[in-house]
Amino acid sequence: MLDQAWLIPALPLAGAVVNLFFGRRMGKAAGWVASATVGLAFAIGAAVLLDLLSLPAEQRQHVVELFPWIDAGGLSLRVSFLVDPLSLTMVLVVTGVGALIHVYAVGYMDGDPRFERFFAYLNLFVFFMLVLVLANDYLLLYLGWEGVGLCSYLLIGFWYERPSAASAAKKAFVTTRIGDAAMMLGIVLIFVHFGSLEFGEVLVERTAVGPLIAPSEGLYTAISLLLLAGAVGKSAQIPLHVWLPDAMEGPTPVSALIHAATMVTAGVYLVVRSHVLFEGSGIALTVVLVIGLVSAIYAALASIGQFDIKRALAYSTMSQIGFMFFAAGMRFYAGAMLLLVCHAFYKALLFLTAGNVLHGLHDEADLRRMGGLREEMPVTAPLFAIGALALAGIPPLAGFFAKDHIVNFAAESGRVAAWVVASVGAFLSALYIARPLFLAFFGTKRNDARAHDAPWAMNAPLVVLAAGAVLGGLVLGLQAEGGLLERFLEPVIGAAEHGHLGLSEAILVGISIVLAVLAVLVAWYVWASGRVNWAAFPERQPELAAWLANAFYINALYAWLVRTAGMGVGRAFRTVDDRVVDGAVNEVAEEIGQASRLASVLQSGYVRSYALAFLLGAAALLLYLGLRF
Amino acid sequence: MRTPISYFLVLSALLFSIGTVGVLVRRNALVIFMSVELQLNAVNLALVSFSRMHDNLDGQVLAFFSMVVAAAEVVVGLAIILNVYRRRQSASVDDASVLRG
Amino acid sequence: MPLDNVVFWVFAPVSVASAIAMLLQRNAVHAALFLIVNFFTISVFYLILGASFLFAVQIIVYAGAIMVLFLFVLMLLGVDRDEPLIERLKGQRPIAVLLGAGIFLELFFAIRAGIGFATKAPAGFDETVNRGGNAAALARVLFRDYFFPFEVTSILLIIAAVAVMVLASRQAPAITRAEQATAAAAEARATEPAP
Repeated sequence: MLDQAWLIPALPLAGAVVNLFFGRRMGKAAGWVASATVGLAFAIGAAVLLDLLSLPAEQRQHVVELFPWIDAGGLSLRVSFLVDPLSLTMVLVVTGVGALIHVYAVGYMDGDPRFERFFAYLNLFVFFMLVLVLANDYLLLYLGWEGVGLCSYLLIGFWYERPSAASAAKKAFVTTRIGDAAMMLGIVLIFVHFGSLEFGEVLVERTAVGPLIAPSEGLYTAISLLLLAGAVGKSAQIPLHVWLPDAMEGPTPVSALIHAATMVTAGVYLVVRSHVLFEGSGIALTVVLVIGLVSAIYAALASIGQFDIKRALAYSTMSQIGFMFFAAGMRFYAGAMLLLVCHAFYKALLFLTAGNVLHGLHDEADLRRMGGLREEMPVTAPLFAIGALALAGIPPLAGFFAKDHIVNFAAESGRVAAWVVASVGAFLSALYIARPLFLAFFGTKRNDARAHDAPWAMNAPLVVLAAGAVLGGLVLGLQAEGGLLERFLEPVIGAAEHGHLGLSEAILVGISIVLAVLAVLVAWYVWASGRVNWAAFPERQPELAAWLANAFYINALYAWLVRTAGMGVGRAFRTVDDRVVDGAVNEVAEEIGQASRLASVLQSGYVRSYALAFLLGAAALLLYLGLRF
Repeated sequence: MRTPISYFLVLSALLFSIGTVGVLVRRNALVIFMSVELQLNAVNLALVSFSRMHDNLDGQVLAFFSMVVAAAEVVVGLAIILNVYRRRQSASVDDASVLRG
Repeated sequence: MPLDNVVFWVFAPVSVASAIAMLLQRNAVHAALFLIVNFFTISVFYLILGASFLFAVQIIVYAGAIMVLFLFVLMLLGVDRDEPLIERLKGQRPIAVLLGAGIFLELFFAIRAGIGFATKAPAGFDETVNRGGNAAALARVLFRDYFFPFEVTSILLIIAAVAVMVLASRQAPAITRAEQATAAAAEARATEPAP
C-alpha cells in the first residue's frame, strides 16, 4: 500500500471537484461524499501505516514519486510524497479528526444555502493539508502551505455577507502572508546554499569535515528564523497571532478543523520536520522556545478575559500551540508531536461541543448569557467536560500526559526558570478552560431560550473524539521516556535526550496534578459556585478587565502602526509625486515657455531687422573666410 | 592704364557698403530697392575691373548678364511693390509687420 | 599725369558723394536722381576699363530704363512724401553704419591682401582682347562661349514681362477681413427690424 500513498491526498481532491461541479444536484449527499473521501483517505492511511510498520525502524522512509513538476535552471523537481513516521502521524490526525468533523458538519450546516460549496472547500482544505504533510520537498510543502491559507480564507469568510467575516478572512490571509513571504525567502536560501529542496538532501546531518560540509551557523540561523516566521504566522504565535481570534467568524466546524486540529499545527510540523536546520543554529531553537512560552502565557491570560466562547477557545489554541513550540525549542520534538495529536482530539471536541451550544441557543455565543446548560443539553455537557478536563491536564486524560511530559522535560533538562513559567502556564490553561465549562453548563441559567441538544448524527463523531481525548495519552505516551509515539517517531526526529536533573519525576508529576486540580477548583469557586460576583469584575476593575478582553491591545497597536506607517509612506510618496515628478515635468514646460518668450523677441516683424540680422551674418562669414585665406 | 586696379575695387567696395547701409536704414521700399541696385552696380564695377586685370572678357560678359537680370528683377519687384501699396496704401517697409511675434 | 588717372580721381568722389547723397535724401525722387548721377559715373569707369560697350549699355539700360521705371512708379504711387526722420527700431542706424564700415574694411583688407595696391592692369588690352572694338570682341565671346546663358536670359526677360503683366493688372481692391466684418455689422444694424 505504500506506493498508493498518493491516494490519500487525491481522494479529498476528487471530492472537492465533484462537489464543486455537481454539488447543487447532490443536495445533502454532498456532505456524505465529502466525509467519505476523507474517511477513505484515513483508511488508506491506516493501511499505509501497517505497511510501514512491517519495515524495520531505520528503513521506515518511502518516497512515492509521481510526475515531473518543475525543470528549470538548477531546479528539477518531481511531485513526490514522503511516507515516514512523522508525515504519517500528521496524515492520520488530519484525516481521522477531519473525517469526524466532516460528519458533524453535515448536521451543523444543514439548511445553509451554500451547503455543497462548504464541503468542496473543506475537502479542498484537507487535500492541501495532506499535500503539505506528505510533501517530500520544501516547494511542494509551500504549495500545500499556501493552499491551506487559501482555504482558510475561503472558509473563514464563508458567510461573506457579514462584513466582519469578510474582514476577518482578509486579515487572516494578510497576516499569514507576512510569515509566508519570509518563509519563501528561507526556501530560496535553502535552494541557493544546498542546491536542492528535497528533504532527503537538505535535512541530512552535516559535519565539519567529510563530504557533507555544514554551512555556516549564520546561514542555518537565517534559514531557520525565516522558516520560523512562516510557522509563527500559520500557527498564530506572537507576533503574528492577531488573525486567529477573528477567524472564529467562520462556521464552527471550520474553527474545529482548521484552527484547532490541523492548519495551525502546520507550523509545529514545519519546525519538527526542519529540526536539523534549527539545530544547526545556536539561537534558532531558543527563539522558538521563547516565542512558545510567551505566546502560551499571553494567550492564557487573554482567554480568561474573553466573553465569546469561541474566542476563548481560539486563544486557548494559541496557548496550547505555544506549548508545542516550547517543547520543540527544547528539542523535545516527540513531546511536541504528542501534544499535537492529543490537542487535535480534545480541541476539536471542545469546538464542536461549543458548536452544539451555539446551535442549541440559536447562535448565542456570549458566555454571560449562558449558564446551567447541563440540564438542557445532557449529551453535550459531559462531552465538553471531557474535553475541558483533558485540556486541563487531569489524569488519566490525554492532556495530562502530553502537557505534563513537556513541563517535566523542562525541569529535568535543567531549565528551571522555563519550568516555572511553563508550570504557571499549565495552571492558567486549566483555569481558562474550566471557566467556560462552568460558565456555560453550570450555575444559574441566564438565558431565556430553551436550548435543545444536537441530533445523534452530530453527537456521534463527538463521542469518538472524546474517546480519543480520554485514551490518547494513555496509548501514545504513557511512559515519560520512550512512549509509543516517541519510539515511532524516533527515526525521523532522533532520540530525545531526557535529563534527570532536579526534582524526581514523581514529585514533578505530583506538582502538575496539584496545579491542575487546584485550577479547576478555583474556577469552580469563582464561576460556578455563585459565591463570587464575577459579573461585576469589569466594573470593579475596568482597566484590568479591558486589558484582558482586548488581549492586551495588540490588535490596536498593529492597526495604529499600519495606519501611521501606511499613511506616512503614502503622504511621503504623494509629496514626491507632486513636487519632484510633477515639479520636474511642469518645470520643463515652464522652461520651454520661457525660452519661447525669449525667442519671440527676435520675431519683430520688421523686414529691416531681419535684413540687418542676415547681413551681419554675411559680414561675419566674410570675415571668417578672409581670415582663413 | 596707369591706375592700379585695386583703386577700382576699393571704390566698388565703398559703393557696396553704402548700398548695404541704405538697405538697412531707409524705410521707403522703393529707396531700399534703389540701394540694392547700387550694390549690384558696385559688383558690376568689380567684375569689369577683374576682367581688365585678367585680360579677358568673361567679367564683362558676366556684368552684362547681371544687368539683364537686374532689369528683369526691377520690373517684377516694382510690380510687387505696386501691389503691396495698393493693399496697404503705404510703401513703408515697417508697416508690413504682420508676422510679428 | 595719365588721362585715366585724372578721370578716375575726378569721377570717383562724385560717385561716392552721389551714393551717400542718395542715402541721405528724405525725398525718394531726389534719391532716385542722385542714383542716376551715380550710374553715370560708373559708366565712365567702364569706359576707362576698356568696356566701351558696357559704358553704353549702362546708360541706356540702367539710367535710361531702370531708373525711369523707378521714377515712373514713384510718381504713379505718389510716394514721394518725405520719409520721417525718427527711427523706430532701436539701434538699427548705428549698427547698420557699423556694419557698412565693417564690410568695407573687410573688403579693403581682402583686396590689399589679395591683389595689393600697386598692381596695374596689363597693357595691350585694346590690341589683344578688344580686337575689332569692344562690341565685336564681346559679341565674339557672347555668341560663342556664352551662347546658352544668353538664350536663357532672353527667356528670363519674356517671363519677367509676362509676370509683370499678371502682377500689375488692375484687380479689385482687396478688402481685409476686418473691413468685411465692419461692413457686415453696419449692414446688420441698417436692416434691423424696428423695435
